[in-house]
Amino acid sequence: MIEVLDGGLSSTIQDDGRFGQYHIGMPPSGAMDGFAHRVANALVGNDADRATIEMTYGGCDLRFDENAVVALAGAAMDGDLGEESIPMWESVAVDAGDELSLEFATTGARTYLAVAGGIDVEPVMGSRSTYTLVGIGGHEGRTLEAGDRLAVGDSAADPADLAGRSISDEHVPEYDETIRIVLGLCEYRLTDDSREELCSTEWKVTPEADRVGYRLEGVELDFEPREQPFGAGPDPSNVVDLGYPVGSIQVPTKPIVLMRDAVTGGGYATVATVISPDRDLLAQCRTHQSIRFEAVSVEEAVEARRRRRERLAEITEGLQ
Amino acid sequence: MAAERIAHKDLPEPRYEHGADDYVFVELDREMSFDANFRSMAITQEIAERDLAGVEEICPGNASYLIRFDPEELAPDELVERLKSVAAETDITEYRWETRVIDFPVLYADEWTHETVMNFRENHQDPEATDLEYSARINGFDSAEAFIDAHSGAPHLVTMMGFVPGLPFCFQMVPRDRQIEVPKYVEPRTNTPSRAVGYGGAFTAVYPVQGAGGYQLYGRTPIEVLDVDQRLPDFAESIVFPQPGDVLNFRRIDREEYDAIREEVEAGSYEYPIKETDFAPEDFFEAPDEYNEKLLEGLYA
Amino acid sequence: MTTHTIEAPMPGVFYRRSDPDEPPYVEEGDSVEAGDVVALIGVMKNFYDVEAEVNGTVTEVLVENETEIDAEAELLTIETD
Repeated sequence: MIEVLDGGLSSTIQDDGRFGQYHIGMPPSGAMDGFAHRVANALVGNDADRATIEMTYGGCDLRFDENAVVALAGAAMDGDLGEESIPMWESVAVDAGDELSLEFATTGARTYLAVAGGIDVEPVMGSRSTYTLVGIGGHEGRTLEAGDRLAVGDSAADPADLAGRSISDEHVPEYDETIRIVLGLCEYRLTDDSREELCSTEWKVTPEADRVGYRLEGVELDFEPREQPFGAGPDPSNVVDLGYPVGSIQVPTKPIVLMRDAVTGGGYATVATVISPDRDLLAQCRTHQSIRFEAVSVEEAVEARRRRRERLAEITEGLQ
Repeated sequence: MAAERIAHKDLPEPRYEHGADDYVFVELDREMSFDANFRSMAITQEIAERDLAGVEEICPGNASYLIRFDPEELAPDELVERLKSVAAETDITEYRWETRVIDFPVLYADEWTHETVMNFRENHQDPEATDLEYSARINGFDSAEAFIDAHSGAPHLVTMMGFVPGLPFCFQMVPRDRQIEVPKYVEPRTNTPSRAVGYGGAFTAVYPVQGAGGYQLYGRTPIEVLDVDQRLPDFAESIVFPQPGDVLNFRRIDREEYDAIREEVEAGSYEYPIKETDFAPEDFFEAPDEYNEKLLEGLYA
Repeated sequence: MTTHTIEAPMPGVFYRRSDPDEPPYVEEGDSVEAGDVVALIGVMKNFYDVEAEVNGTVTEVLVENETEIDAEAELLTIETD
């Protein structure tokens, strides 16, 4: 078992996500930065879908009741394991009784702690991911608090073989400030100027940006005037309520990028979608950080997705 | 009542739009109509039946639908081609489905949503009125009472699920000139009680859980649309109760009945009164009021 | 006597009070003990307690209430005895 001594600012248990339920209004949840989550799992010999602890801005303090192998990936976080400082992107052996104490993230927003065997909570609808709005998944459907006790799953590998593994520096991502998008969905609603401004503006991440959505500050975008269609409602930002892709950008007037715990549909015009590999990068953008959107084609988006998958495969193979 | 029929709507060419690498959004029409919705339901059912490799989520919408897929298994353009061929082969004049006609009790003008409505007055279109009074006025009703009579006077079809788990978007089963239409809040509320019954655009929504919201609020239901612990008998199969294609009959109840039903819900023993029947769109279009009456027949026996 | 500066560990919004109707946690001239909450930082609708790390006297509050701040922003100074 792992005992939570301090849950940090906002830490939840996440896996790859809860898919197949979007049609009932259930967002996928799951690790906001799927790349870091998967690398952390790979470092400790886990399959990609094992659950990790996602820590946002502030790290947790944990006490291990049993020997374990752990790895940190994602936002850089200083911390101590017993008397030693703990490295990022490297697997580390933990002795029963050790305490792990993590500080604040210094670059990036989210750090993943993987444990060999995975955090073992009861799956809900096929996933261990926490979805706090309705209180399901993870540990009691909520963020971690002091006193919580987390079980660790069985690891197929011998712990002696797992510690001390790291990934090469070239695979450690740089948290870039350019986020690639594909324009589309209800993008016809924007004026030509606003469509251009979406990609030329330096957008600032607001303090509210969280697992539900990244609200951005910049310019106000304008809509083409029209007689609103029946059922949409009179505001120019309104459309007849429709499904929102994860990663889509809706524009009440200033953009909100929908993240992994977002609403699945509604009546705001969506004008573009962040490509799947860059959703990981956006999840590492911090409050007050500036970002830019770069419009790419669907083909480029698929190519970037393929590269991400191949890179993860290369990392995993390199560790075996 | 006058023998009104619902005119078919000629739908425009659908728009196939890419949501980055892993979504395709298909807009069947920009405005809401039964035709667009029945087409969304028929096409998405057909896509599900074809069981296309690479398709991961199929989400019918009010007048659109959304597909999530793996573009490395099924190329985006290839998917769009498949969707177009499904569309070409789907004819909704022959489309029928088994529907559930469901009694849906609502305490209109309840104290909880009233308090919420009054707490968010400063940003409302009409700060001097309640949401019910405002909606009544802009839709040409003499009073909130008359408005409630209209809202509960004909059943509503669940045309989409979403926003949050269990939330049904419902479109009233009346001709266009009797459809209620209202704006959403100027600024979304930061709070809405759970089980609130609200309205935005041309849709009624039932909020499963407490949270943000932008619909005009009219009342509260004692029954659940989401039960994550699956305690209630009607949730044995799924954590959410409504499904697209269900017919909800919003029935005005008083506080006494609200409390009595709420007690049953909390005890885990409440069961939705449901009548199962076939839904025949053409008969509905031809004589909606008569058809609705027939749908409700026996529900309250 | 040494001056100790408290820095923000993360970006967010700086709050001097727990609630707009409450008095500030500390005013200049107040004496504080290590572990006392002296301010809050709000981010993602969560609030982090900024605590004094030393015993001493608050000499200066460097940031206005409800200002957006970055990580490592200097928040207030405490002079130790």
